[in-house]
Amino acid sequence: MYRLRLTHYLMIAPVQLMLIGVIFIPALYLIWLSLTDYTYGVDPNFVGLDNYIFIFTDPVFWRSVVNTLIVVNAVVFGELVIGLGLAVLMAGWVPGKRIVISMLLMPYAITEVTAVVMWRFMLEPDVGMIQWALTNIGMSEISWAINRWDALFVISLLSIWLSLPFTFLILYSAVTTVPKDLSEAAVVDGANRFQNFLYVTLPTITPAILVALMFRYIFALRLFSEVWLLTEGGPARLTEVLAVYLYRHGFRYQEFGVAAAAGWILTILSLITASYYLYQLYKRMFRDA
Amino acid sequence: MRKPGPVERTIRLALIALAVLWSGFPVFLVVLSSFKPPREIFAVPPAFIFTPTLQNYASLWEEWPSFFGNLLNSLIVTLGATILTIVVSTLAAYVYSRYRSKLLTVSAFFMLFVRMIPPIIVTVPLFPAINMMNLNDTHFVLIVLYATFFVSLSTWILKAFIDAIPREIEEAAIMDGAKTFDIVWRVILPLSVHGIVAASIFVFVFSWNEFIFALIFTTRNAKTAPLVISEILGTVEGVDWGILFAAASIQLIPIVVFVIVVQRYVIAGLTSGAVKS
Repeated sequence: MYRLRLTHYLMIAPVQLMLIGVIFIPALYLIWLSLTDYTYGVDPNFVGLDNYIFIFTDPVFWRSVVNTLIVVNAVVFGELVIGLGLAVLMAGWVPGKRIVISMLLMPYAITEVTAVVMWRFMLEPDVGMIQWALTNIGMSEISWAINRWDALFVISLLSIWLSLPFTFLILYSAVTTVPKDLSEAAVVDGANRFQNFLYVTLPTITPAILVALMFRYIFALRLFSEVWLLTEGGPARLTEVLAVYLYRHGFRYQEFGVAAAAGWILTILSLITASYYLYQLYKRMFRDA
Repeated sequence: MRKPGPVERTIRLALIALAVLWSGFPVFLVVLSSFKPPREIFAVPPAFIFTPTLQNYASLWEEWPSFFGNLLNSLIVTLGATILTIVVSTLAAYVYSRYRSKLLTVSAFFMLFVRMIPPIIVTVPLFPAINMMNLNDTHFVLIVLYATFFVSLSTWILKAFIDAIPREIEEAAIMDGAKTFDIVWRVILPLSVHGIVAASIFVFVFSWNEFIFALIFTTRNAKTAPLVISEILGTVEGVDWGILFAAASIQLIPIVVFVIVVQRYVIAGLTSGAVKS
């Protein structure tokens, strides 16, 4: 009945051709570009590992790696903790649950550009309302425009704000699938609420947590717009992250070779992060095949 | 749901209020401030009662007249990318749902594998190629780019929905000698409307809001709204916040309303596309 014919291969062809033509071949070509001195209007010359040597001896690159790791971990674990708390909270008694979830979802619909507008408005030096509130309770302002750590803090805050809905929804739908009789049995056995969470809810939703973590790591590594729009990686390239490093060298300095090498490093980092998930996926898919 | 005692109820309401404030307040603030007279925007303490004015919207119209054309570009690119994604993903999802072969498994794995590659890296090799083909600054480039980065997720979501359609329904049609295309068009498509909505949302929201590709591949004709908002934000001689809020509000209100209306599909799409895969 379901005999595979040429028609069926033609039906998956558009998807596959798009992925191959727009992502896969360019990604492979990137390896070649990273070994050349390619720039505008000049044919690429093979330069061996020069770009990699340049990058690995460039303190700005290492700083961008450190910044990326700091922000990515702050964002992913910040989201996990807040998202988990929110998921457990929302799974219980909440008046007007649908409306509350709509409100929690809102940042998902906002472009990074407008998110930067919002937070910059509240954090504008001297006049922003958060700054005003901070000085009023006797604390100092968040000087994200001149201080590297303050800037990284604001960037992390912004990223968490933007992608918390994703983490929250995955964890929330996991929490709501925890079988009722399981927690009821635990309560009958005298478990308090915290024990119930620790020994019943948490083990059940661990797979969802791991998937959420992996996807958030992969997506957080791509961090670009928040940094570029807030600080452009400045002052003095102190707040650059990997994607900003790539963009600056490629599209500001026209050093496509260096940008390609940075891009390839970013790709390898992403694939290493995804490797365990991909391996599990591979095993499952080919077992069924 | 059991209604908890008064103490727990108070704690719960306080925490929920905090969470809603966190996600909703910045959005509310931007929309509210877009109706403030420019002088009152930075008033301390922040003013929540004022005489609303459309002055900022008028200034946006005068000083950034191209913004409304850029909104149209956003709409064209968003609709184009969504339609392209859904058409190619539905075709592929049907095959992945109903057929098995080694080659199909390999290509399905490839589809999920490619999703892990960071989009920004393709800009470096594609930029010169697109210039060479004279496709720079066209809607077409953005449509293809946006769609490509969402065909994997969409195919996966649609496959999950098509898996749930009983095979008996189409088997009668196959017996009668219907062509595969007719089956997809007449049997599968009408039954997977929910899946199509769920899959569309993600590429739709992404395309409407996207920044990096638009920054690199458009300069004038195909420039999208988020890019112009970033230009208003980046004005060297001091940011005009009133105009900025007006532009941001026009861009965000339709998409926020849209996401709220289709909220249950967002949840359905996320759980079938991200978690189960």
